[in-house]
Amino acid sequence: MMKKSGAKRYVFLMGILCYCIFLLGWANTWEDIRRESKKIHSVSAQFSQKKHVQILTRPLVSKGFFYFQAPDSVRWEYTSPIKSVLITHKGNIKRYTQGEKGLVEDAGGPLEAMQIVLQEIGRWTRGEFTENEHFSATLKGGKAPSIILTPKEKGMAAMISRVVITLSPDRQGVIKTVKIFENEGNHTLFEFTDVQINGKISETLFREM
Amino acid sequence: MKAFVVPGRWVIIVTMMALIISCARLPVIKPVDPEAMQDTRERCRRPFLDSSYRFIHAIEVSFPGGRKGTVVGITLVDPSEKTVHSVIMTIEGFVLFDARYEKEVRVNRALPPFNAEQFAGYMMDDVRLMFLAPEGKLADAGVLADGSTACRYHGNKGTTVDVVVHKDDSWNIETYSNSNELLRKIRVVEVRNGIPNMVELHGFGFREYTLRLKLISAEAVSPRVNQAPPGDIPEDEE
Repeated sequence: MMKKSGAKRYVFLMGILCYCIFLLGWANTWEDIRRESKKIHSVSAQFSQKKHVQILTRPLVSKGFFYFQAPDSVRWEYTSPIKSVLITHKGNIKRYTQGEKGLVEDAGGPLEAMQIVLQEIGRWTRGEFTENEHFSATLKGGKAPSIILTPKEKGMAAMISRVVITLSPDRQGVIKTVKIFENEGNHTLFEFTDVQINGKISETLFREM
Repeated sequence: MKAFVVPGRWVIIVTMMALIISCARLPVIKPVDPEAMQDTRERCRRPFLDSSYRFIHAIEVSFPGGRKGTVVGITLVDPSEKTVHSVIMTIEGFVLFDARYEKEVRVNRALPPFNAEQFAGYMMDDVRLMFLAPEGKLADAGVLADGSTACRYHGNKGTTVDVVVHKDDSWNIETYSNSNELLRKIRVVEVRNGIPNMVELHGFGFREYTLRLKLISAEAVSPRVNQAPPGDIPEDEE
């Protein structure tokens, strides 16, 4: 895992976050999380991604949808500015990105990276946050509870300095934002809206683009 | 000792191949009337920026064997200072490459696979080729057989850059080695308000690749923006 590339690590982290953020608000202790995580069957949400980077004066905003169905089906879909759909279902992983001739299936690196994500999602499904080998997790309570993840390894710390997950103050069980800090002031802010827990999600979403 | 005899027909084949390779020719540029020369030269500058711009592109990268991937490219170009700042990141927002060219390349961040030796130099050369007028000496200007306007520049390293502006105002930019082998070919497929909406770059030689840049946004910027210090994170986002 130490030799995992930066992009893979990032995608791995993103996969973990997109799954676990919907669990964290359910609890005030790690034990609560482990217990409550077993009750999640499905998650759907809209998200916006605001990328702040020095070269830009305004953030680059991307939008999309996230779907999860237990035990391991995920649809991670960007609708703008670049259409991209990642689908994992029954052990199959596919990623499509808008190309010259419509949505084109990616080959190579991204799929390999997502294989790692799936493996890690299994760990988080069991509520194993504090046992993560890459990040130390701190749970902060209060009116606006948050989770702070800090990297354990130097290699990871060179790429990601910390991750801050803020829970919704007025809706228990719903995440408000996830912010990933890179270096030199670059960071990415994810905001989740219209979060549905344990709603019905059509299986076709995990089989078709 | 057994003598090694080369069959006569092989000598002919090898000689012919060597002749073909050595005789690789650049496209023929036909001269224009002296009165039209100034217009020809000005038309050749059409592909290049005359003020600072910030571009955001969706970049589809293709390698031989069908491997493809898409990244987001942000490019800040200042033609007056001849500087370029380029950032490449994943769709998920993770910065893979960040480098700036100002007389020389300075890499701020490079993660695999963008940390390969010489990648940054080639990358910045490609970006400059797309947006900045060639720095070499103008050696020829005129028209091609199809009526397109063409200008030829000779660079310091023995390379040649051909700038070809077609009748429909789209353009090609091609780079050749000192033995006239095609090294890079840029083809602008769509132009809107003078800004390329779709650009294709083909890299030839040892490692062939194709980049398709689809414009997400283009914004005229003050040159000073290119030298802005690192921004702080707004307090309200913490």
